[in-house]
Amino acid sequence: MSEEDQYKNRIELLQGTLDMLILQTLQWGPQHGYGIVQALRLRSGDVLQVETGSLYPALHRLERQSWVQSEWKQSESKQRARYYRITAKGKKQLASDLGRWERIVEAIGSVMYVKPEESES
Amino acid sequence: MKWFPSFGFQRRKRELQEEIDAHLQMAIADRVARGETAEAARQAAAREFGNIPLVQDVTRDMWGQAWLEQLGRDVRYALRQLRKSPGFSITATAMLAVAICANSTVFSWIDGTMLRPIPGARDTGDLVSLQRGERNFSPTPPFSYLDYRDLREQNHTFAGILAYHHDWITLTGGAQPERVFIANVTANYFDVLGIKPVLGRFFLAEEETRPDAVPNVILSYSLWKARYAADPAIVGKSIEIARHPVTVIGVAPEGFVGAMPGLRDDLWVTLDPLGTDVWRITHRSGGAVWLNVIGRLRPGVSRGQAAQDLDTLMHHIVAAYPNDHLGENRITLDPMWRSPFGANGFMAATLPILLAFAAVVLLLTSANVATLTLVRFVSRRRELAIRQSLGANRIQLVRQMVLEGVVLSIVAGAVALALTTWTSKTFAWFFRASSSPTTLNGSMDHNVVIGIAVFSLLAGMLCGALPAWRSSHAPAVEVLKAESASISGGSRNRKLLSGLVVAQIALSLPLLLCSGLLLRTLRNLAGANPGFEQDHILTATVGLNIAGYSHDEEQVIRHKILDRVSALPGVKVASLTDWIPMTLSHKGEDAYPEGYVPHPHESLQVSHAEVGPRYFESLHIPILEGREFTPDDDEKAPRVLIVDQTAARRYWPGQDPLGKKLRVWGIPFTVVGVVRNSTHTFVNESPEPMVYMSFFQQGYETMVQVETEGNPVDLAPAVENAIHTIDTRLPIFDVRPMRESTQLASSFAVIQSTLAGMFALIGLVLAVTGIYGVVAYRTQMRTHEIGVRMALGASRVDVLRLVLLQGLWLTGIGLALGLAFALGLTRIIVRLLYGIGANDPVTVASVVMLLGTMSLLACYFPAHRAMRRNPVTAIREL
Repeated sequence: MSEEDQYKNRIELLQGTLDMLILQTLQWGPQHGYGIVQALRLRSGDVLQVETGSLYPALHRLERQSWVQSEWKQSESKQRARYYRITAKGKKQLASDLGRWERIVEAIGSVMYVKPEESES
Repeated sequence: MKWFPSFGFQRRKRELQEEIDAHLQMAIADRVARGETAEAARQAAAREFGNIPLVQDVTRDMWGQAWLEQLGRDVRYALRQLRKSPGFSITATAMLAVAICANSTVFSWIDGTMLRPIPGARDTGDLVSLQRGERNFSPTPPFSYLDYRDLREQNHTFAGILAYHHDWITLTGGAQPERVFIANVTANYFDVLGIKPVLGRFFLAEEETRPDAVPNVILSYSLWKARYAADPAIVGKSIEIARHPVTVIGVAPEGFVGAMPGLRDDLWVTLDPLGTDVWRITHRSGGAVWLNVIGRLRPGVSRGQAAQDLDTLMHHIVAAYPNDHLGENRITLDPMWRSPFGANGFMAATLPILLAFAAVVLLLTSANVATLTLVRFVSRRRELAIRQSLGANRIQLVRQMVLEGVVLSIVAGAVALALTTWTSKTFAWFFRASSSPTTLNGSMDHNVVIGIAVFSLLAGMLCGALPAWRSSHAPAVEVLKAESASISGGSRNRKLLSGLVVAQIALSLPLLLCSGLLLRTLRNLAGANPGFEQDHILTATVGLNIAGYSHDEEQVIRHKILDRVSALPGVKVASLTDWIPMTLSHKGEDAYPEGYVPHPHESLQVSHAEVGPRYFESLHIPILEGREFTPDDDEKAPRVLIVDQTAARRYWPGQDPLGKKLRVWGIPFTVVGVVRNSTHTFVNESPEPMVYMSFFQQGYETMVQVETEGNPVDLAPAVENAIHTIDTRLPIFDVRPMRESTQLASSFAVIQSTLAGMFALIGLVLAVTGIYGVVAYRTQMRTHEIGVRMALGASRVDVLRLVLLQGLWLTGIGLALGLAFALGLTRIIVRLLYGIGANDPVTVASVVMLLGTMSLLACYFPAHRAMRRNPVTAIREL
């Protein structure tokens, strides 16, 4: 039951923001798929729960666009896993994604928080 | 692009599996660390992860290789469908194969001639042939050595300019003398063409005009192989040409046969190997104009810029030596694919038009196969509807059906490829043995393979896409609900079917019309009177000038030949000449008529031939004024000339030409006779001035021309024997009836009409089977309806009319459209026609009648069958 509640609380990721979140996560260091999911959940206070059905296609797409690189490594717990690392091209992409995201937030904010007297004038 | 994408695909699939496993393992490990039991952790992790195959699927989509798997599935499905209806598959493949082969055959001919003008040469696209003065078919060599050298040294637009002159010569010194084609070339000849020797070396710059005691010679690969058994130590050895010792210094690579498209050189020497050409390389006009010139443009220079550059230089040359450059001197440049020197001028006028015909055949065939495909799709509608309702989207269905067309056309392309390897070589059949060393044939190389691939894909798309797009438009539910009676297709499909039939008729009409016009042209050419006797004439070439006899010996032998051959029984008249009309050969010279003021830029070039006594008598060319040549018109007598009507009218209008003077090579010739015009090169040529000189004064090559009483072929051995009684070593070539020689002039008309005829026949068969197929199919679909009509009292004639009318409508529209199309298309063949207009009403009417009647017959059979049916069984049949 609690899982379903949790599910309802999750925010559907805006189209295109997943790429940005993944790239941001990789800024802190190379990470494998499971690690990315965990990191996003922790940082967002359990709000952002990435579906594996979205995560892996996204990772493979990012790799194809050369925004990330991957290699097989041993994790601390001796588990062989595929680690993704952000590339210089990916960093550039992240910067532009972030810029766009801020503009959207600002634009949405200015629509949502209009003061009544301003809108009437 | 990887060569084996599927290997990489398998590896990545494995890696993805591993990646997902790792994810699960880590998730389980985390949960166990938090205190869950191993089993609960495993289950929770799996639940959290979700549908593993689905994740794998959507991830794989990101690799951009999913289409490969999909394609494999679609191809397998298409093959299964095609196997299910072998009749359709085989018919369609065969038709497409023939149509593709028609295209690829013509294309292989273009590839072997126009696209590979100089086999072995580097970047032939940068080569241009230079022409000075007026442009015509089979022009004579246009440059003197001095003019050529000025152009070569002073231009700013060419990486190199070469010059050559070629002619027959005899290889002596072996057991058997052999006539070969030899070229005098400039030292940079091989360099400009980009040819490297397989043995030895080519010429050095200082050798270009230097005479040598023992001249150097370069052998062609085939001569080296055939006559010298590919001797690896040939370089440095001495061989004999026309009884002169020469030293072999190199062998050209395999395949290279010289710089003139379509002609084969066997040997190459420098411009003045024996010191006998000194006059020729130190003068600028007359006999010193003997070189063909080809240039290689500098990178980035256009043909227009180069022509302007040379024109300016030529202008300076003309200003400096005005007396050597009377008449027109403008320089034009042609790319090698349509160079007027050699065969490509003719090829460029013929082959592209044939390719256009072949393209129409391909369109027609695609329309026919599309009809069949559409009929097949209509009967597969339920299958398609079921697939659609199971979730296939329209794009997938269309892709599936287009794929079936593509599979068909790939198989057809493979068959056509096999056929073309043979048909490409049939081009040589059209060129009979002649006095030129012609080497013309199609070639089968990667260009043709690419061409076939393009033709097949085009055809596949055409015959798959159209019906597929149409069929996929039908809403699934309606089709599934519908009764079988309505399977005959909605009005949409009926319209498309009708459209395809109309297109087939409309496309075949121009093919028929063009082939009709070309066939009648051929008949007109064969029936045309060339102005001279062709039927009882035998000609033979005696290789006097190329066998190393001295000039005086030659003259004595010539007189002896004339005496001995004249005395043969069965010989009416014997004469000598150095030119045979209508053999694409042509000798031109600048002539300066006394008292004639040329128009500005008027070309003063005249054609000339050197003919012996009784020449005009043997050919039945009437002497209008004056006299024929006599044996006394020899080198001791004043130079004399006989002109034809065109020359007489042009230079001395309204005056008596007899006694007038004409200056050629700086020598004054006196006109002693006027003869009637006769054909020089082509029956449909525009008359050019022609002058005849006395053989014993100016003759170069020696050809015996005999008028016989019976079949000229029968006399050939006797003539050869008579000549050999003078000297058994005299080389004799090209002994053949005049009729055979002059056929060379119509060989292109033969190619055109043969191919157009074949294409038209294919077109007719396709159009007729097309309309038959559609009318029969529709009638069959209407069996039930016809049964009802008959049961309600319609007579058999009514039924016949019903079906026939339907076919007639289609035929009528097709013919009307086709006629409009045809009358437009015939414009492109106007230049090929002779003695007939492009819109000749008789041909148009008969072609329309032929196609109309055949279509009507094709409709009659299904109509007749429908009429004969028993209405009761017809109604029961659903």
